[in-house]
Amino acid sequence: MEARPQPQDDPELLARFTERIAAGDQIEAGEWLPGEYRFEAQRLIQMHANSEIMGALPEREWIPRAPTLARKMALTAKVQDEVGHGMLLYRVAETLGRTREEMIAELVEGRARFHNVFHYPAETWADVAIIQVFVDGAAMQTQGALRSCSYAPYARVLKRICYEEDFHIQLGLDVWRTLAEGTPRQRAMLQDALRRWWTPLIHFFGMPDRVSPHTEKMLAWRIKVKSNEELRQQFLRRFVPIILEYGLEVPDPGLRRVDGEDRYVYTEPDWEELKRVGRNGGPKSAERLALRQRFYRQHAWVREAVIQWAAA
Amino acid sequence: MGRGVSAEEPPEGAREPAGGGAVRGGDASGAAGRGGSWEGRLDAPPDVWAVFLQARTRDPHIHVGDVHAPDAEMALLVAKENYTRRDPCVNLWVVRAGEIHATTEDAAEMFAPATDKSYRFGGSYRKQQQIYHSGWRLSHRDEDQ
Repeated sequence: MEARPQPQDDPELLARFTERIAAGDQIEAGEWLPGEYRFEAQRLIQMHANSEIMGALPEREWIPRAPTLARKMALTAKVQDEVGHGMLLYRVAETLGRTREEMIAELVEGRARFHNVFHYPAETWADVAIIQVFVDGAAMQTQGALRSCSYAPYARVLKRICYEEDFHIQLGLDVWRTLAEGTPRQRAMLQDALRRWWTPLIHFFGMPDRVSPHTEKMLAWRIKVKSNEELRQQFLRRFVPIILEYGLEVPDPGLRRVDGEDRYVYTEPDWEELKRVGRNGGPKSAERLALRQRFYRQHAWVREAVIQWAAA
Repeated sequence: MGRGVSAEEPPEGAREPAGGGAVRGGDASGAAGRGGSWEGRLDAPPDVWAVFLQARTRDPHIHVGDVHAPDAEMALLVAKENYTRRDPCVNLWVVRAGEIHATTEDAAEMFAPATDKSYRFGGSYRKQQQIYHSGWRLSHRDEDQ
């Protein structure tokens, strides 16, 4: 990964840029950008793209084992959407100056990052419900907010991505409801999956932001739209009630809603785990990266053939 | 799509391979403020195709995004997989993004009317419409009686 560049921008252009963003303007690809903006936006979008591709893998494992044909078709469609999102996002990341080949190489060689939640196993069919409702629900908080980010090409694809993610949540709720209203064994399976996913979900939004000039700048430039904690609270407000409505238990005994406030307190998770997982040190990181790499190599001949065919 | 515009860019072949694209476009964007041109070619890697989708017959084709492909046939195939999974579509166009000519972002001012253009809008002629409509109502009232 590249080091954060030291700003050395033309002060006049920088001032004009800052003024435009402050006025609510969005920037199109190819327009002048401060070096630091380009770096941060590119990094964010590349990580998002990586997460879409890697995020398809845990669910993909369940396509052959889906309990009904309808579930199999819906899950296949969902996985296809995620890979499609990766396609859209790599293209946007590319407009910020890195080639798609570079980015894919970085991913399969384990030098890039992807979201913490995709480093964990999907052990049972109930995990599929958790991923579709809660993981996609968590992602929706972040991505929904970023629809108003300042980089227009990213904002445009996020509109479409959020539209499709909404389908994933609806689909997931259907699986969730079926299991939650099912046999005691199905309910126990769902509760167990929720227990295993809870900490990664709290981790998902990152540590509460320190008040730093860097964070302030990201917010001012609208590469970040809401703070990590704001997004986590937004997630809890929407998704804790779903757990309670179905008579399931929130796996954090310390979680409670603050009286008279629209805010939850929760047990502080182990942030070291998030850091470790983020550096590709999660329980499934190595295996999933190896799978991605194996198929990337195995399919090299297809890419080659397509290019040769076009050239012929 | 990479919207970087590179006005002085020579056609096909002289461009960098995939990826050099928008950065350089950004630098050489021919931005009006830097004495450049008001128009130019979009700066996109040569394997990038812009996808235009027509949702229903008689609708215009709208740019919905890009795909990477080595030729038009593959671009159409990838466009179909990526942009027509659920919403309606009757027709797709693909065109090499680097072949699109566009006005620069800085030239947006050019489209802002410098003079009063109200004479081009129907709403500016309300008085006449009121007279016409009241006359029409009157004449119909006559018929009713």
